[in-house]
Amino acid sequence: MRHLDADAMSALARREPEAVAYFREHLARPCDTCEDFLATHAGPNLLDGQVDAALLAAGPVAQKAKEAPLDEVGFARVRRGMKGSRPDIRRWGLAAGAIAACLLAVVVVPRMRAEDPAVQAGTEWDGIKGPGGSIDLELAVVARGANGELRRLDPQSAVAESDVLLLRYHATEAGTALLFQQRAGQGPELLGRFPLEAGMHDLQGPQGLAGVSLEGESGPVTLWLVGSAGRQEPTPDTVREVLVGGSAARERSRLAVTRFDVSVRSGQNRR
Amino acid sequence: MGSSEGLTEWVRRAARGETSAYSELYRRTRPMVARLVAGFAPLDPDEVEDVIQETFVRAFKALPRLKEAGAFEAWLLSIARNRARTRLERKASTRRLEDDVADPEPETVPHIPEALQLERDIEVVRRLIAELPEGEEKRTVQLFYIEGELSAREIAEKLGVGKSAVTMRLERFRSRIKRELLRRVLAGRWE
Ligand SMILES: [Zn+2]
Repeated sequence: MRHLDADAMSALARREPEAVAYFREHLARPCDTCEDFLATHAGPNLLDGQVDAALLAAGPVAQKAKEAPLDEVGFARVRRGMKGSRPDIRRWGLAAGAIAACLLAVVVVPRMRAEDPAVQAGTEWDGIKGPGGSIDLELAVVARGANGELRRLDPQSAVAESDVLLLRYHATEAGTALLFQQRAGQGPELLGRFPLEAGMHDLQGPQGLAGVSLEGESGPVTLWLVGSAGRQEPTPDTVREVLVGGSAARERSRLAVTRFDVSVRSGQNRR
Repeated sequence: MGSSEGLTEWVRRAARGETSAYSELYRRTRPMVARLVAGFAPLDPDEVEDVIQETFVRAFKALPRLKEAGAFEAWLLSIARNRARTRLERKASTRRLEDDVADPEPETVPHIPEALQLERDIEVVRRLIAELPEGEEKRTVQLFYIEGELSAREIAEKLGVGKSAVTMRLERFRSRIKRELLRRVLAGRWE
């Protein structure tokens, strides 16, 4: 008599008619040999998971799970365990975004004034974690040169005044971001407010990709991209306070604060 | 009914990178994973917690590559069983540390009609339990799978038998269910 073994399983996986017909009959009755094999070998496919789903559904746990509270501690452990696995935005390089940047017109972000009503829109921010939860944000920057060439920047890179900086982010949640630019020795200036989508995306506004012009700049320049999850939107003043308040203020705020520093070469293309 | 009901949309949202979707999936499936792992009586509470965490870390890391969102629950439970078995075998020194049961590849999981067969599968479980002769094995299986409150460790305590014995009984019964469900697959129930 034939019983289940590795050969039989692969014949079944290939759906060989003779094996299927034989085991369809053979497995209709209890068989210790075959059951031992099934108990100690995983598969085929997701059969093990389906068996366990059926067994669990025979008891109360599946129904109870629907109203189960979130085990916050357990989930925090899982998130920590996943940390190393996030798509590495620094390896993004020129692949995905570069093509988009070539095809789409880059809209240079005009500097916004803080009293602009479009900028002051968000007021519901109370600094407390709301239903939107918290957000993690990472930032990568590409420079588009005067000749249209793109190059990925490492933090602290030297750039030319004629470069336009393009931003790509990875966000763990949908939300909103405020983009600031800061010169050495000055306060952060608001460049604009942008929607964030979960996942990896180019920073863009309604008109297209957001580009930051460096015209007239010289020396160290910092870009700040500050994200908040869901519909909670801090006002620019709130964010500015957080930015100048140092790392302690940042940790308290539950805002996702990312920065990218470049150094604008002076003496080139000066007008 | 069925716990996978409504999970699919959360799986899709998680695959798009939404953290809130991961937390909802965790909330709704952790009790099942924990129950499955609770069947491995030789694992102590810390080891159980480690297995649960490792299961979710692996599943969530690979989730964006999962081909069939509707297969999430069965896939997650397959991973959980592999993790628990690996842990148990390492503990018993029957498996080398670097040796690992491979998890099902997320790219190749088959389509599973959601909850379509679950009612019938539950009937299979109930029928096979009813067919067991009265005795310790039947009692163990009823306590763990039907009443579903005590862990295998607690059942061992209650019945005054060894921890491994309880897990062996549960595994033996489970292999009967697996045989019966495999027969149904071969009879073409998913085609
Ligand atoms: Zn057999």
